[in-house]
Amino acid sequence: MMEQNKTKNTEEILGMANNLKWELGMGIHDKIVSSLYADAAQIARKTVSMDGDKPAFSLDRKIDKIVTSRWSGFPIMFVLLAVVFWVTISGANYPSGLLASLLVDTLHPILKSGADSFMPWWLSGLLIDGAYLAMAWVISVMLPPMAIFFPLFTLLEDLGYLPRVAFNMDSLFRKAGAHGKQALTMSMGFGCNAAGVIAARVIDSPRERLIAIITNNFSLCNGRWPTQILIATIFIGGMVSPFWAGLVSTGAVVGIAVLGIAFSLIVSWGLSRSVLKGEASTFSLELPPYRPPRVLQTLYTSLIDRTLFVLWRAVVFAVPAGMVIWLVSNIHIGGLSLAEHFIDWSNPFAVVFGLNGVILLAYIIAIPANEIVIPTILMLTVLVTGMSGVGEGSGVMFELDSITSTESILRAGGWTLLTGINLMLFSLLHNPCSTTIYTIYKETKSAKWTLIATLLPIVLGFVVCFFTAQLWYLFAWGFEF
Amino acid sequence: MEQPVLALVLGLVAVGILIWVFWPKKGLLARLGKVRMSSQRVLLEDTLKYLFDCEYKGIACNLNSAAGNLNISADQMAKLMAHLKDMGLVVFEGHNIHLTDTGKSYALRIVRVHRIWERFLADETGVQHMDWHGEADIQEHQLSLEEANRIAARMGNPAFDPHGDPIPSTEGEIPPFLGRPLSSLKEGEVAQIVHIEDEPHYIFEQLSALGLYPGMQVYQLDVQQGKITFAADGNECVLTPLFASAITVQPLPKAEPIQEGYQRLSELQPDETANIVGISSYCRGLQRRRLMDFGIVPGNSITAELRSASGDPVGYRILGTTIAIRKDQANLIFINNIKKEQHEQSA
Repeated sequence: MMEQNKTKNTEEILGMANNLKWELGMGIHDKIVSSLYADAAQIARKTVSMDGDKPAFSLDRKIDKIVTSRWSGFPIMFVLLAVVFWVTISGANYPSGLLASLLVDTLHPILKSGADSFMPWWLSGLLIDGAYLAMAWVISVMLPPMAIFFPLFTLLEDLGYLPRVAFNMDSLFRKAGAHGKQALTMSMGFGCNAAGVIAARVIDSPRERLIAIITNNFSLCNGRWPTQILIATIFIGGMVSPFWAGLVSTGAVVGIAVLGIAFSLIVSWGLSRSVLKGEASTFSLELPPYRPPRVLQTLYTSLIDRTLFVLWRAVVFAVPAGMVIWLVSNIHIGGLSLAEHFIDWSNPFAVVFGLNGVILLAYIIAIPANEIVIPTILMLTVLVTGMSGVGEGSGVMFELDSITSTESILRAGGWTLLTGINLMLFSLLHNPCSTTIYTIYKETKSAKWTLIATLLPIVLGFVVCFFTAQLWYLFAWGFEF
Repeated sequence: MEQPVLALVLGLVAVGILIWVFWPKKGLLARLGKVRMSSQRVLLEDTLKYLFDCEYKGIACNLNSAAGNLNISADQMAKLMAHLKDMGLVVFEGHNIHLTDTGKSYALRIVRVHRIWERFLADETGVQHMDWHGEADIQEHQLSLEEANRIAARMGNPAFDPHGDPIPSTEGEIPPFLGRPLSSLKEGEVAQIVHIEDEPHYIFEQLSALGLYPGMQVYQLDVQQGKITFAADGNECVLTPLFASAITVQPLPKAEPIQEGYQRLSELQPDETANIVGISSYCRGLQRRRLMDFGIVPGNSITAELRSASGDPVGYRILGTTIAIRKDQANLIFINNIKKEQHEQSA
């Protein structure tokens, strides 16, 4: 009885509300909001005085006139970003080498011999050669550049400069159906895609945020730069005379990065006009006043929030992957390891795309981090070709100091210029690493968008590699036969 | 030689097929979606909706006008009507056709779903205003009343759709129709636009392009044969009677006509200050709330401050902060009283 009464009352009240809304007309909500603001503004005008910030404001205006000017706006932006990248790459070299020699060259043999003394060979192989080595690799390659890049980036953000970059770049991104702030998440993606995906939180429009998240993988992250540089030096720099080699291979790497930006804009355009067409979209961009950056606080937050956070996720994924890498090269069925079975089976398929089975397997098992793709490729190539005297046994990832010996391993694995070019393309266009995939899921809370963000780049990668390879075969036919 | 050529051809075909299937609006998937639409039930429901619309506005309605409205032949319409009559939804009185009570409540349910969906598209999604009506025409046949009620409850049970039409209540109540076509307004009368008819489409698009929207004040200036001149929120417009009859107005007997025309924020040059008059009703939902959050409300003053290096977003100073607004948004914000101002004074 009570229940019935209650529902009747609710309906009556809702009906009354409806009648009143009809009488008041459509604009009532806006009128209420407007009058609230008008009252607030009037109170503020009476009670708040604003003389204090005048000088600072006029200085802001002068800086703004320079950094957003038609003539100097873009050059200043490119120079600043180039400086950030240069500092990151050159500054990370030394600590990366140091960490690698400590964790991989020194600590790994000690741990291995220690573990061998009381563990069966397979357990020490799985734990030390697999899990530990993958973790050591990820830390030594990933930590230094991120520890330099993120604080620098956060400093620019804290200074108030980054919103001006978004402001200047917005018209380009608007044409692609995206938000100017995507310029920032893209730049962040050059450091680490997972961090770039998190950074997309600054975009408050649902549609543009999804676009930024899905296309972030097209920014060549710092786990992929070393791969690009190595392969470009060996295969593309190797084509020309040594005098030009440096310039040509640098050009090739920059070309790949620019191609990535182009893909990210094209895909943004496509997404905003197809699957994301109906998502709510707004544009808002505040241009906060400039202020001296709080250096210590920035260092602390960017190291803890961004660097360690992302590194931790990467390590969590790298450890099981290291075990898998060790297992596939050490479990034998019918005299061949699982890795060799897969490589033999997938080779014919891979050749259609100008790649090889080793590359496909490496990209599948090294999904947690792009950093371990090259060590995995080298290890697998040695395993498959049965070379002796290089590497440290099956399942043990390694890298070589000398580029020439790396080249000789790859050439022995049957690599050509086409394999090199397609590896560079595939390294740009393939699924995000598992850390990024997990981050995308965390950020979007949607399996659908995570799936799209994962599959879209790899489908594009196969399409691009396929056409490159087939055109190559078509033209190479005339020369080689 | 043959293998790469063959592979390339196959690859191109595969990419072509993918594009053909997934292409928005014209692709296979989109077409399949459209084919599913034109079933018998859809036609029946559309007919009921049309009959209701005629009764609501007090227009007589017969077979031919209904057939014309649904874009089918008169024979087909006659069959549909016979079917509706068998179902007890309509009755014939000579040439005229009326809805029975059951028919009316059926029609009201569809109208409710249609208008709730339009409101949802306008407020909660990024769908453009030209597409609201068409999308709602599809959804009204697919969404159940319960689902629509849930959506409405989440939006705070809105009372009007974005075109200004009242949304029937869950009980099937709807306020009486008070509007008159703009073409019937006499010289010197002041009224408010309450509705802009969204059919036929080309007229609606033309009227939107003129910047007319529900909520605007109109002031009839001159009525001549073939030409109606009026001021919409102070801006002079000229329409033919056909176009003017697509606009429904409600007279405002006591209102003072707005004399001064508005300009758009996009016209404000750097270092000029103006008063904000309002935001167009085409700017809705999230975007509108966001602008209002920044203080874009009537009465505040706004100063254009700096243009971005690429020219498009312009930084505006409002309530002591600088925000960037894109040109297509600035086009939807109305201002007046533009003054050239020295910046030091406005700060």
